[in-house]
Amino acid sequence: MKRLFVALFVAGLVLAAQPGMAHTPLFSCYDNGDGTVSCEGGFSDGSSAAGVPVHLLDGSGKSVQELKLDQFSEITFKKPAGDYSVQFDAGEGHSIKVPGKDIVE
Amino acid sequence: MYRYLFAALLVLCMSAPAQAHFQMLYTPEAALTKGGELDLKLVFSHPFDAGHTMNMGKPLQFFMINKGKKTDLMKDLKPIKWQSLTNSGDAYEAEVKVRKMGDYVFCLVPEPYFEPEEGAYIQQITKVIINNSGLPTDWDAAVGLPAEIVPLDKPYALWTGNVFRGVVMGDGKPVPDAEIEVEFLNHPPVPGKNMFQKQALATAPQDAFVTLTIKADANGEFAFGLPKAGWWGFAALGVGPLKTYKDKDNSQDAVIWVKAVDMK
Repeated sequence: MKRLFVALFVAGLVLAAQPGMAHTPLFSCYDNGDGTVSCEGGFSDGSSAAGVPVHLLDGSGKSVQELKLDQFSEITFKKPAGDYSVQFDAGEGHSIKVPGKDIVE
Repeated sequence: MYRYLFAALLVLCMSAPAQAHFQMLYTPEAALTKGGELDLKLVFSHPFDAGHTMNMGKPLQFFMINKGKKTDLMKDLKPIKWQSLTNSGDAYEAEVKVRKMGDYVFCLVPEPYFEPEEGAYIQQITKVIINNSGLPTDWDAAVGLPAEIVPLDKPYALWTGNVFRGVVMGDGKPVPDAEIEVEFLNHPPVPGKNMFQKQALATAPQDAFVTLTIKADANGEFAFGLPKAGWWGFAALGVGPLKTYKDKDNSQDAVIWVKAVDMK
């Protein structure tokens, strides 16, 4: 019986350590019209995405540059020439890819 | 002859359905999927039956808050004429660009309006909260307006049938037992035009359904189930501290607009 309690307690600890799964990742990009693009990340529960990696992908989907969101969960970079997309990468199930053609002023 | 006409008019006025003055701060969508240009209309009217539109004076304050940062929008206001089903009145519009994610809390402090029928002023301090891309940032924070409804439910993420709750605040404190008028924007504005659509979305079986009246509880909290998709206005009457204006009574009201969306 005592062992069962210990097991339940451990199970409880494991569950408690899981990250909140109710939140969804949010990522939005826009063209600044001056040759740069800005992106902003976040989570639906309002938590910050500071430090989350952002990948610039080429036309074939290959990562050509890795950036990190700043303390305001934002990043500004030079608009890549040709086909590209931007990927917000907050781990499995928390990744969003925005195609360059959808990034407008 | 004139005496009869006057009597007839008086009877007409008295039998006019009870309807509430509502300061509108309208834009078609509350929940944006991406940033862009927002088209805002500032109209003082009777939203359920799109009746008489009152002339607005130049607003005293008009601003937005995003991520705690206040942006003054007074310079973006342009005077327009708003066409109701019965008249045309002075109103304002503004085009505001929103790009960053998050909540945009738009606040309007209008010039008090003199209502000759009541011999008193009405000043409806109005708030509407628009969200871009789902990131919650500012919706639940009190702005600190003299009369304000602070939402307890995201006012831009409500399904039809959801309950909308809020706290009525006057001078920064909850107002127990506040009286709140609720009205449905039954004739939504025609897109791209400064007028209400002629077609009503709903029909009231009796006057008490035109302007619904609810009361806040002892903590100034209220709840209202939204029975139909569209914009709903809540006006807490006379809760602000400015009780007189230019030697006349003034009702300083707190207004908030929320939008319900059908689940489909």
